[in-house]
Amino acid sequence: MSTTILLRDIDEPGLATLAVYERRGGYASLRKALSMEPAAVVAEIDASGLRGRGGAGFPAGRKSAFLPKGNMDKYLVCNADESEPGTFKDRELMQKCPHMLIEGVVIAAFGAGISRAFIYIRGEYEAQARILDAALAEARSAGYIGERIMGSDFSLDVVLHRGAGAYICGEETGLLDSLEGKRGNPRLKPPFPALQGLYQGPTLINNVETLMTMPYILEVGGAEYAKLGAPNSAGTKVVSVSGHVQRPGNYEVELGTPSRQIIYDLAGGPPVGRRVKLWFPGGSSSPVLTEADLDIPYDFDSLAKAGTMLGSGAIIVVDNSTPVLDVALKVAKFYRHESCGKCTPCREGTNWTVRMLERIETGEATPMDLDIMASVQERIIGNCLCVLGDAMAMPIGSMISKFREEFEAHMLSRQLADVAA
Amino acid sequence: MPRPQQNTITFSIDGREVQAPENMMLADAAKLGDVEIPVFCYEPKLGQPVGACRMCLVEIEGIPKLQTACSTAVKDGMVVHTRSERAVEAQRAVVEFLLINHPLDCPVCDKGGECPLQDITFGWGAGSSRFIEPKRHFRKPLELSPLIAIDRERCILCYRCVRFAQEISEDYQLILLERGAHSFVGTFDGHPYVAPFSGNIIELCPVGALTSRPYRFRARPWEIEGSGTVCTLCPAQCNVNLTVRDERVLRVLARENEAVDDGWLCDKGRFAYQSVHADERVTAPMIRDGGELREVSWERALSEAAGALRRAGSKVAALAGAGATNEEGYLLARLLRDAIGSPDIDSRPGAAVSLDEWRALAAPGLAAKVSDLEFAHAVLVLDCEPLDDAPILELRIRKGVRRHGVSLLVATDRPSALDAHGHSLRFAPGRGAELAAALAVALRDGDATAAAAAAGTSAEAVGELASVLREGGEEVVILYGERLLDGGAAALLDLSAALGLDGRDGAGLIGVGESANARGLREAGAAAGVGPGLSEAARGRDTAGIGAGLRDGELTALYVLGVDPTVDLPDHAGWEEALEHATTVIAHAAFLSDGLREHASVIFPAEAYPEKEGTVTHPDGRIQRLRPAIARQGEVRATWSILAELSRRLGTDTGIATAAAASAALFEAVPMYSGLTLEEIAGRGVRWPEREQAASLPAPASAPPAASPRPAIASGGRSLVLSSYRSLWSAPEVAASPALAFLHPPQRVEISPEDARSLGLSEGEHVVAVDASGASVPAVVAVRDAVPPGRAIMLAGLTHDGANRLRGDLVELREPPPAPPEPADNAADEEIQEALV
Amino acid sequence: MSPVRRYEHGSRVPGWDSAADLDKAPAAVPDPALVDVPADLRAEIEAAMARYPERRSAALPALRAAQDRYGWCSPEAIEQVACVMRLTPAYLASVATFYDMFELEPAGRHSVYVCTNITCSLRGADDLFTAIEEAAQGDADINVRSFECLGACDIAPMVSVDNVYYGPLELADAGRLIDDLRSGREPLPELALALRRSADPNAASA
Repeated sequence: MSTTILLRDIDEPGLATLAVYERRGGYASLRKALSMEPAAVVAEIDASGLRGRGGAGFPAGRKSAFLPKGNMDKYLVCNADESEPGTFKDRELMQKCPHMLIEGVVIAAFGAGISRAFIYIRGEYEAQARILDAALAEARSAGYIGERIMGSDFSLDVVLHRGAGAYICGEETGLLDSLEGKRGNPRLKPPFPALQGLYQGPTLINNVETLMTMPYILEVGGAEYAKLGAPNSAGTKVVSVSGHVQRPGNYEVELGTPSRQIIYDLAGGPPVGRRVKLWFPGGSSSPVLTEADLDIPYDFDSLAKAGTMLGSGAIIVVDNSTPVLDVALKVAKFYRHESCGKCTPCREGTNWTVRMLERIETGEATPMDLDIMASVQERIIGNCLCVLGDAMAMPIGSMISKFREEFEAHMLSRQLADVAA
Repeated sequence: MPRPQQNTITFSIDGREVQAPENMMLADAAKLGDVEIPVFCYEPKLGQPVGACRMCLVEIEGIPKLQTACSTAVKDGMVVHTRSERAVEAQRAVVEFLLINHPLDCPVCDKGGECPLQDITFGWGAGSSRFIEPKRHFRKPLELSPLIAIDRERCILCYRCVRFAQEISEDYQLILLERGAHSFVGTFDGHPYVAPFSGNIIELCPVGALTSRPYRFRARPWEIEGSGTVCTLCPAQCNVNLTVRDERVLRVLARENEAVDDGWLCDKGRFAYQSVHADERVTAPMIRDGGELREVSWERALSEAAGALRRAGSKVAALAGAGATNEEGYLLARLLRDAIGSPDIDSRPGAAVSLDEWRALAAPGLAAKVSDLEFAHAVLVLDCEPLDDAPILELRIRKGVRRHGVSLLVATDRPSALDAHGHSLRFAPGRGAELAAALAVALRDGDATAAAAAAGTSAEAVGELASVLREGGEEVVILYGERLLDGGAAALLDLSAALGLDGRDGAGLIGVGESANARGLREAGAAAGVGPGLSEAARGRDTAGIGAGLRDGELTALYVLGVDPTVDLPDHAGWEEALEHATTVIAHAAFLSDGLREHASVIFPAEAYPEKEGTVTHPDGRIQRLRPAIARQGEVRATWSILAELSRRLGTDTGIATAAAASAALFEAVPMYSGLTLEEIAGRGVRWPEREQAASLPAPASAPPAASPRPAIASGGRSLVLSSYRSLWSAPEVAASPALAFLHPPQRVEISPEDARSLGLSEGEHVVAVDASGASVPAVVAVRDAVPPGRAIMLAGLTHDGANRLRGDLVELREPPPAPPEPADNAADEEIQEALV
Repeated sequence: MSPVRRYEHGSRVPGWDSAADLDKAPAAVPDPALVDVPADLRAEIEAAMARYPERRSAALPALRAAQDRYGWCSPEAIEQVACVMRLTPAYLASVATFYDMFELEPAGRHSVYVCTNITCSLRGADDLFTAIEEAAQGDADINVRSFECLGACDIAPMVSVDNVYYGPLELADAGRLIDDLRSGREPLPELALALRRSADPNAASA
């Protein structure tokens, strides 16, 4: 908890304005970047070990390097479609410190030789969109974006694009289709966006938090940043903690911090007298962990080793007052609602899962249905066009395997109640 | 655009070594090794694979996740397993998922027996389902359009139909609504899906969700036979497969020929088969007797015709058009020239084109082929509207623009459906020849001011067209309407020369004829001054000259093959007069249009194309073969046999007694076709410009002289310049097909918003268009933003109210005369009705 | 155990049961001569189109502009957008129905999105939604919808009123929220997200 980069003094009054941001040293990193070779900027990002903060955790420097060199139209897209249940870090970051995002966008675009950037913000974040629009206007008139930025040869046009309510647009290719004015259906990969993305041009897509970290990396140098955090999980991470905790909110921690420390010391743990029953370490699409897993270090590799993932860095805590069936139904219904419908296993599998869970809830199921449900999840995983199907199947599968007894007990009690009636 | 080069690679699939072109999609490459990979959403014709249905998941060594075979390009050394445990599990999973909400109502499904979902479920499914929740049920079937029924229970959301509307026809009318499990195929706000190519979605649907309303429940797949032939309802000559049951055509399917149609059909081609079996079709010979046409025996009709022709001596003229075959054109020309001794035969509505011009235009070095439209650097659509004139070529042009970056230029005298996809220029009605001349000047950097003005446009506009054309690249295909040849052949040839098209691969000309087999009829010798193989023939009258000859008594008999001059040709009144004057009018006709009903002395029932045997020649020179799919209806006889019989009766025995002999005689007479056999033409056709014998095409004796530009037409006062065209739907076959009749257009007049304002007219208003002579045609006003001011665009080819009833260049739009009073016997009718009750 | 219901009428989605109306003309790209588009709406859509390399990208902003003006994406509104963008209304309907924030039926002037996703529901959102729905019952001006995660789990359970976030709400706030809306006051001003300080101990060193 030693180092705070993104959330440090983020409640300072007026930080969303250019004047205060500049007073705090804002845009100095951009000045520094513009004095460097683009390849050197990418090299610093690469050296920092920064991994994408949006969910997939792909190394940010390598992603930039994938873009082809040359003079074709290339695009940077900032993924601000924060929609993974439990995640609200980008919202707070954009709302309180929009210029840091803009600075990160310009640095990343400069590094990859991109002249056109879009910030795709989810439609529900209207307040944040207004703040960003105002900040973009300020940055434009101050010469931080637009033609010949800060007197250099580098020009960048940044457009804020608002979504309209669809979780799947957080998936990078769904986002691209949506930005092109289409239904937000994910695309087949390959071709990957780095080669054929927005308007068929090479496209670099980064999450808000990833981009906002770049000014700091440029400031202290990649090697210095790499010292923070855990092996293969460099740096700090803003973690959204919510659910059954006493102090829900965003906390910035060094990666590798024990999960218990985040949930209990920072967020206050469950209400007095209750215990952690299960928790999602990385948004509702991550396989659930239990109380026994609270000492797992919060970083990419440790969580992967535990069979789950860090995802977007959103911890949802469920205490022992809530039946697992309720959680499973919420999760499954959410993904059914958000499935784009393009590919078969996701469209039909999410629907089927909800229908089975509803039957379990009303007591019209037998333990055999749990086996079928588990098999349906297996048949979804890995067979879909994008990861949305997996995003339901993985947590549901983990709940069935970790809480099978509770599901069965529920079935039995409903049946007994029926008999009694 | 250069066509992709392909290397051959070797990969392994299910233990077999298979050679395939590199980067071919695995789903296709597998077939080369006799391995079938099941697919639903994959259809290469629809463009890039989407990988949506997930049916084609296979295991590829070295890749941890299963891959969709539809989107994985084969590479050398790739090792693929389609029957491994993981692949089989995934295939079973997808079938199980797909069937969750499918009703499995196969016994009452029209697709049963020819359904990919049935086949794949049988071949790759587990045979049972663990889904015991209630299935979704919906009202079904529902109307999607007058032609198509939709059954949403059966839909497996493969998106083929929706992708067709987006990627192929680009009409964007059929869409996916909602999201996820709620997604469904539909249209905007309950509008029907009516578009020129809509029927293709029926064929694309891999389940019974989209079915043909005219075909529904007419037959089961095991009761039908398929029969391949060529549709001759327009010059596109698409290859079709007719579904036949009990000597009736019940359905038309595409018979994919990449060189012709790319596997698509327009709705006219797909549904106008109904006219074959329409009650109003003429199926017996008729003669005029006491002023009325009545059915007679063949012998009576033939002797009547032969007698009349004999009496007319050499004062006989002939016109051919519609779907007349090469053999029919050849035999008609022999009847006229050899048996009757008259040079007056034509198959072109417009003015005669000189033999030198025809020869120059047909030169193999200038001949582009259909697939060039897709791969050229630039395509210039000149004085034609592909959608109306040869619809399937429009899809090919769209494909080229969309997938291969073809630069499209549209130079026409009226708004085009392709305008949104390229650079467009509008010229004055009928001034295509002048435009071609102006463009040639501009391409040579000359001063195009005068030439552009003659075309009714500006030098700037022409200059811009020229520079876009130049920048596009050197492979240019000009798709022109043959109507342009009214004084425009020399200009077109000059334009080709300015672009250096002669001898350039992938570049050249394609002329869209004004009838389905215009090129074939010409090459068979059925055109003014043109003998078989574009040889020299005695100079005869052209179409307009024939009309004049009949009016002034120089000619006394007219023989028409598929043409009603009063409907199909300009100058309705002139032709009325001509037919009135004619002593004899002999017509081969399938339907009795007004002109024939009024004036024909002898009617021979014409074959419909599914009954025909013979050959036709595509605008790109491809000779294609028609094969009879059904027996001729009623007493219909083969047209070639009637022509041969009349020749014989008039003293010239052609010795032709079979259809094959007719074809053989044609091939012998036309040097470019010489040596051809029907077997060689077979199902795909043979392009003669690619044959060795093409060298026998006579060279033009001299360069055709340039025609001088016609004077400009000025609108003024309340007058508008009339421009007319024949819509895709103004055809007797459309009117006679119950399913399509709703598309047969009423006359309408398209005007610009400016003129609508100044004339005080609004959308949907009834007016009459009146010409200088006082002739009038009723029409409904259609205000269209894209219509240039000063124009009135109307429909030709309509049976009753065609624009050919208006003479001259100018029309005025006036209030319609007051409606005639209600017929007085209405009251009487009601009384009778009451009495009956 | 009660028997499993089978073959009953499944979940109904509006549209699945509808046929096309064969009396209507096909809906092609609207002809500018036939569609009146208010000048300011046209200007807004054209400005949106100018922001992107391809005009189609403006579909979402253009539909939003039309919805803001007409209260919902009515067929007429969609036709107007289609006319300016030179797209078919069907294309835009397809896009509009994909996204949750477009209203395809007439909707109340005020939108109240109640998050009922996992975190909010753990903290009582389902009951809150019912309470708000009841409080607003019969008021055609207020469009109460249960919504998926709105990205504000720190203030769960929360609502988005006309796209402004408020939370955490108590059940008792439901009535006041609706009353405030009806009387034109800012609803639950003290619960506005904008006022909330960060939870991180280092967020405010002052």
